[in-house]
Amino acid sequence: MRLPRIFRTTPFRLTLLILALFLSAASAFLAYIYVATAGEARRRTEMEITSEMHSLVAAYDRAGVDAVNQSLIERAASERPFLYLLMNQAQMRISGSIEESPVEKFVGPATWTSFSVTDRDAAGHTLKHPARGLQQRLRGGEILFVGADIGADQAYVNKISTAMQGAGALVIVLGLAVGVLVSRNVTRSMVGLSEVVDAVRNGDLGARAHVRGARDEFDELAAGVNEMLDRLERSMAGHRHAGDAIAHDLRSPLTRLRARLEVAYLEVEAGKGDPTQALAQALEDTDGVLKTFAAVLSIARLQAAGAAPDPVLFDPSDLAANIAELYEPLCEDKGLDFAAELAKDLQARGNREFLAQALANILDNAVKYTPSGGAIMLRVRRRSSGEIEFSVTDTGPGVPDGDRERVVERFVRLENSRNQPGAGLGLSLVAAVAEAHGGRLELAEGPGKVGELGPGLRVALVLPRLG
Amino acid sequence: MRILIVEDDREAADAMERGLTEAGNVCTRAADGEEGLAVAQAGEFDVMIVDRMMPKMNGVQLIETLRREGDQTPVLFLSALGEVGDRVAGLQAGGDDYLVKPYAFAELIARVEALARRRETGSVQTLLKVGDLEMDLIGRSVCRQGREIDLQPREFQLLEFMMRHAGQSVTRTMLLEKVWEYHFDPQTNVIDVHISRLRSKIDKGFDRPMLQTVRGAGYRLDA
Repeated sequence: MRLPRIFRTTPFRLTLLILALFLSAASAFLAYIYVATAGEARRRTEMEITSEMHSLVAAYDRAGVDAVNQSLIERAASERPFLYLLMNQAQMRISGSIEESPVEKFVGPATWTSFSVTDRDAAGHTLKHPARGLQQRLRGGEILFVGADIGADQAYVNKISTAMQGAGALVIVLGLAVGVLVSRNVTRSMVGLSEVVDAVRNGDLGARAHVRGARDEFDELAAGVNEMLDRLERSMAGHRHAGDAIAHDLRSPLTRLRARLEVAYLEVEAGKGDPTQALAQALEDTDGVLKTFAAVLSIARLQAAGAAPDPVLFDPSDLAANIAELYEPLCEDKGLDFAAELAKDLQARGNREFLAQALANILDNAVKYTPSGGAIMLRVRRRSSGEIEFSVTDTGPGVPDGDRERVVERFVRLENSRNQPGAGLGLSLVAAVAEAHGGRLELAEGPGKVGELGPGLRVALVLPRLG
Repeated sequence: MRILIVEDDREAADAMERGLTEAGNVCTRAADGEEGLAVAQAGEFDVMIVDRMMPKMNGVQLIETLRREGDQTPVLFLSALGEVGDRVAGLQAGGDDYLVKPYAFAELIARVEALARRRETGSVQTLLKVGDLEMDLIGRSVCRQGREIDLQPREFQLLEFMMRHAGQSVTRTMLLEKVWEYHFDPQTNVIDVHISRLRSKIDKGFDRPMLQTVRGAGYRLDA
């Protein structure tokens, strides 16, 4: 049998658990009260009965049945709360305050029994009181019964236990009601999330959970789910975009390559061109396409992944020093003054391979655009914000303020760079690397105009602070 | 050289086979991992060129199996996957080198030759000798015709690599990978500058240049 949905919810089950705990605690409490009061009252009553029995037996031993009868008469006049019955050997009543013994089968020399006495209260209602009795055979064979009402203490316990049963029932009813209410409330919050999950499963990545603004854990969960979906959607869009971008980015270099081959073919066919040279040119062009392809693929992968793969902790100055070692001879060869200023004891987290490539790309640009006699400065430092900054400053022509955002875009090459080799992907890759690390790429003016040189460009790759 | 090509792309395998045969090698081909394993187990090869992603059994599984069986034939992995993690996985499986598609054929030839050569010189050498050029790997010194040549640490590493692959073309990418341990192609001619510095030290003042530029490929150190 399947329970209705509301009874299967976690809050409802928790309510049941708490109710069960409450009921066991209440039972334990009741048991304690009973032992402490009812048990005590019964023991006291039994002690009183025993001592009364003793005194009557003592009277009998002293002076026989008559003495007992005498005592009973005396006691009947007083307000003693005992019930008496004196019987002969054949268990026939001789005297007493009750007609017959509540002991059904008397075997003993002495037997205890529990019974109840009926009474009427002021309003005429019949009341039943529990009672205890002791029946004992006297030396002459007569049988004496002494009983007593356990009395008010027992009634008190009964009242408490009735009250607690009532209260227990009330608690169960109220508890179940609260359980249903709470679970309905929680379910309402969860249903929103389940709907979102269903929608996403059915392919609607745009579905978002409603954040009610209560700032409770459900809101946190909803916000978390929404954020996760945002990232997922961005990543999916990134993948889609990457596919489109690769197709788009490779079309133009491949078209160029094809055109060149066609022209070369026609020329060779007409006997005007040199086949070897045409092939060499075609090979070179193909290498260019392959390089472009590799760069576009790296950028697309980084953008699609949204995070740098295999990040490790490393010393950024160490990484920069290695790259500086690679580029220093090239700068010198071009008549550029190269200097590196690398702060010590820094730590950063990221993919060394990608960061090294990004730094190499920045230096490639600086070397390409800075005229002989200029200078290039590679710097690694920690900003006061805790961010790690790799920067390359050159004294080349720089990039006009308005163009700085544009040069980061793919395949954008400014007018004065047309005669330089390259596909215009260098800074795009740097930007992609920076973003994949949660950092950014910053372009600014270099040291300013000094004679023929400058104003220069300052390219900074900024990594976020650790932790 | 006997070369085993395990590649499921027929056209790529055709081109590879033609190029490698042209360069004086004997090629055997297998079109998937299982066939590759059978052929490799049956024959003797100097180098295996193995595509990473293939039907039936992928390249990594194939090489892991061969290495478990004690086959130490040098392996060049070909892969469309170029990320650091993929390369590491390939090398951990027992690959000796890793080339990312698409590649230049000169790059492939240079790497295959480098792998085959490495096998020949299996013993540990403390002294490298190419023509009249000598390198003491323990004393960290280089001399040519008895004349001591002073090298920077990186130049020393660069020359060591060239000497270990003397007579073979090595590409700029190989140098960047093996000497600097970078796996990307710079847009500028950084490597050329390092080579020309090294050249000015080992060839300047001697009658015959040893460090040659190979058009379309890279460099070669000749005895």
